This record gives sequence, structure tokens and C-alpha cells, in this order.
Amino acid sequence: MRIRQAHTGRRKAAVIIILAAAVVVLAFLCLFAGSSGMTISDCFAALAKKGTAAQNRIIWNIRIPRVIAAIIAGAGLSVSGLVMQTTLSNTMASPSTLGVSNAAVFGANLSLIAFAGGYLSVGHNASDYSFGGNPFATSAVAFVFALLSVLLILGLCRVRAFSPGVVVLAGIAMGSVWTAGTTILQFYATDVGLSAAVIWSFGDLGRATYATDLIMLAVVAVGTVFFALMSWRYNALLSGDAAARTMGVNVDRLRFFSLLLASMITAVCVSFLGIIGFVGIICPHTIKKLIGQDHRFSTPASLLAGSLLLLLADTFARSVGHGSALPVGAITTLLGAPFFVAVILAGRRES
Amino acid sequence: MLEVRDLRFAYSRRSEPVLRGVSLSLADGEVGIVLGRNGSGKTTLFSNILGINSPSSGSITFDGTDILKLSRRERAKMIAYVPQDIRFGALTVFDSVLMGRVARFGLTAGEEDREAARRVLEDVGLTELAERTVTELSGGERQKVAIARALAQEPRLLVLDEPTGNLDIANERLILEEARKLARSRGIGVLSSLHDLNRALGFGDRLFFIKDGIVKYDCRRGDVTADMINDVFGGRVRMIDFEGEKIVIDEKITEEET
Repeated sequence: MRIRQAHTGRRKAAVIIILAAAVVVLAFLCLFAGSSGMTISDCFAALAKKGTAAQNRIIWNIRIPRVIAAIIAGAGLSVSGLVMQTTLSNTMASPSTLGVSNAAVFGANLSLIAFAGGYLSVGHNASDYSFGGNPFATSAVAFVFALLSVLLILGLCRVRAFSPGVVVLAGIAMGSVWTAGTTILQFYATDVGLSAAVIWSFGDLGRATYATDLIMLAVVAVGTVFFALMSWRYNALLSGDAAARTMGVNVDRLRFFSLLLASMITAVCVSFLGIIGFVGIICPHTIKKLIGQDHRFSTPASLLAGSLLLLLADTFARSVGHGSALPVGAITTLLGAPFFVAVILAGRRES
Repeated sequence: MLEVRDLRFAYSRRSEPVLRGVSLSLADGEVGIVLGRNGSGKTTLFSNILGINSPSSGSITFDGTDILKLSRRERAKMIAYVPQDIRFGALTVFDSVLMGRVARFGLTAGEEDREAARRVLEDVGLTELAERTVTELSGGERQKVAIARALAQEPRLLVLDEPTGNLDIANERLILEEARKLARSRGIGVLSSLHDLNRALGFGDRLFFIKDGIVKYDCRRGDVTADMINDVFGGRVRMIDFEGEKIVIDEKITEEET
């Protein structure tokens, strides 16, 4: 009886409401937690812009953009993972299946190593431009390469048939090419350049500003609206390409735009924040176990679950780091993986 | 009325054509069975009619409308499909059936779509299971859900690919009875492949035997002969009359041969 009731409407609604409430509560907790020794009343005062100048700055210029980044990036990465898994009919698919993250890392390395003086001089180098010294420029170069990679893959897949297996393999190949490029860049890097590049690739929400939040929000919002509107088409796609086509779904077009938007979301998040792994796998799978695969519910639930995980991970990362936050990308995996394994094993027992 | 004329198809330019001029016609309310050896092109024929693949030449019309020129959505309103390997996402039975109407409602289902889904569930006797998750049902129940989903499309033609593949003898009968009842009561054409010859003789109004990429024999069920079957399948069957019904029996596998 328990299984029969597992995916009823009431349960789905309950899960979504609980997640939403948890995100709101945690967002505030996250604002109040930190290494500056502010009390809760200090935080409230600062929220109302009535604290000391330093406290106001900590809340408004550091913590709020960071919390917003966690909410947006978590939601974006999670929903993009969900869409990847459905459109590629592959449970292992993740936001970076098309090699977007690898491409972004290559772009950032290029910017930091070749354009910012992190280059072992062998005569000519581009360090004179000191272009990569600007963090926004590094993100821009990372994004350009991520986008280039996505368009290249989708273009290639457009030429031949758009079968999911081909897309996944092409993504693996493309990702490896960028990683190889990164290795070669790093081989020529100075110690400083190398450490800058490596640290860049650690996901870190501390890089977020209102400007980057706004750009991420725009991309995630466009993607999410599209994903929500396509809910029934994704549901049809769960029955396989052939069945979906006979239900009137233009499978190739749906797959193209879904992969494009999901990858764009990933590209923008990775470019601004670095690699935040596993959110796009843990969250959608946990949601699917909890409330089933109906995209009308799994889309909003995955968004919220992603925000929740990243907020949790970031709060944790800032609390244990003694003043300097641990890389949040590692924490999402450390926190998420055991939970994920527990969810999967629980599912096994049921069936 | 479905009319297929001189349909030709190959999976690629280099490969041997699978269909070399298939022609057949099926009236509304009629059940047509497509028979042929494994790999003879039954599923390929269906995929052309359904628009999953496009023929290299030939025509497919329904009541005079050229369905090759229809958009996917228009075609989905006319022809529905129950594939051989039925897959569903973890949705409720009700939502899985409602999903069949996506070509009609587009983005979000309206009350009339829900009503239609409820009616179909009632018709095929699935109302009790409406809130269950499809992926947790038995093979026979899932098959029924797939048929219900196809019917929710309100098609004029229903294409079934080996609808009895994984079913036991009772469920097999149930599904086929259901399909025929629907053909008669709604006046929709049913085109199906079946591997069991006796089932085909009992279920189909017309039988289309495919061999060498064409419909080699096209006959009413009473006109089927053992020679046709042996020609198409390369077998050694005989036909006997049993209480006025024709039954196909295969020659015994004797010790000398094995």
C-alpha cells in the first residue's frame, strides 16, 4: 500500500511546499552564519541597514549576493541535470555531459595563465595585455569557450541523426579535448599561474556579486520557463523517442533546445562560480525517487532541492573553514553523496 | 480508410531496401493483421505510417488526406501507436493516459482532456488503477495503459506492434478482444502485427502477408491457405478444420531431424 500511494498528488505538493519552506528558512540562516562574529541582532540591524558600516557591508555586499548565488546556481544546475537525464534518456547524464565544464575550465585557464602573466616565458606571451587580471574577464573567456563547445557539439549532432547515445559520446570526446588543452596550458604555467587556475576551478560562491547573480538569474529563468512549458513533452519522451513522436512531439527540436538551454545554464554557473559538481545528479534523482518522474512536479521540486543543497553546502563550508570558506563544490559532493547512496539503496529495498 | 500505395523504404542509401513497394488498404472499423518473418519489415512499415521514418517513395493516405504531408501533431491526432517495447516514466496511470492528448492540448491539459482520459480509463477498465504509478504495474496492466494512452489521442487508426508480446494467454485474449471491440464500436481501423498465426486468424478481418518487401498475399481471414503461410514463413504447416474453424498446426519435430 505504501508504494501505491508513493506518487499521489498530495505527496508531490507536500514535498514541493516543504522544500520551498526549507529554502526560505535556510537562506536566512545562511545570512546569519559567518566568520565575522556578528550576533543575530547585529544581522537584523544590518539587514535594515541600521548596523555599523562594516556590518551593513558584510550583509548587503557579501552575504546576500552569496545566498542569492547559492539559490540560483543550485536551482539551475539541478534542473539542468534533470532535463539532461530526460532528454538523453540516460540516468548518468549531468549538467556537464556535453563537456561544458571542461570547456569553461579551459577558458579560465587560458585567461589566467596565458593572459595574466601566469605563463612561463618562452619569448612571446600575451601577459602584457594583463587581460586575465580582471575576474570578470576570466569568467567571460570561460563562458565563451563553454558556449563554443556546446554549439560545436549540437552542430555536429545536427549533421547526423540526433540520437542520445551519439550526443553523450560526442560530449565525452569534446570534454576530453578541453581537458587535454588545459593540461598543456598548465604544463607551461608558472607556480602562481597554476595555483590561480586550480583555485579558480574549485567552486566558490564568494565570487558572486549582484551583477553575476543577475546574469545567472536571467539564464536560469529563461531555461526554467522553457523546461516548465515542455513538461508534458518530457513526460512523453520518457516513453521513448518513437512513442513520443507518435504522440506528436517533435523530438529532435525538443532535444536540441533542451540541451542548449541546460548547457547554457551550466556554462554561466561554472563560468562565474567554478565547478560545483554532483548537484545536477543528486538532486534530480532524489526528487524522482520521492515523487516520481512527472515533469510538472519534478521540475519545480528539483529547482528547490538544488537551491537547498547548495545553501546547506555553503553554510557548512563557511562554518568549518575557520574564516576562509572551504570549496563549496567539494562540500556538495561530501554532503550529498552519502545521502544519495542512502536514497538509492532505500529504493532498491522497495522494489 | 487507410491506403498505402507502393511504399518503398531503406534505412540508408547504401543498405538493401526493406520495403520494395508495399500496398494495402484498411477500412474503418476493420482489424488488419500484418504477418511475416522476423525482420520482414513489419515494424518498418508501421514506422513509416506513423512518421517515425519517411519513405523514399510511395504514398500513404487516410480518407484521401496525404498523411506524409501532415505535421507531427496533426498526424498524432489521426494515428496512435502502441509500440512493441512499452516504456513509461514513473507517472500515475491517469497522467500516462492524459499524456496521450499532448498533441491536442499542447502545453497544459484542460478539463476536457481530463474528462477524455477518465472516459478511456473507464472503457478499458483501468479506473481502479488510475492513481497507481505505471512503472509498478504488471506487464498486462501496462499494456492496457499503453492502449488507453493511444486511445486518448482519439485516433482514426490504431497501430499495434506485437501487442501480445509478453502476455499470458488470458491477457493476450483480453487485449485483442478489447482492440476489436474498439474497432467496431468507434469505427477506427486497427493495424497490428502478431506472431501467433492462430491468433491472427481468430482476430483479424484481413491479413497482409509480407515477403520480400511487398505484401505478397492480402486476403480475408477465411481465404488463408497453408500454402500461403508456408510460402511466406518457409515453414511446413498444415491447416485443419476444427468445428468449423481453421487451425494452423506445425509439423512435429521428429527425432530423425534433430
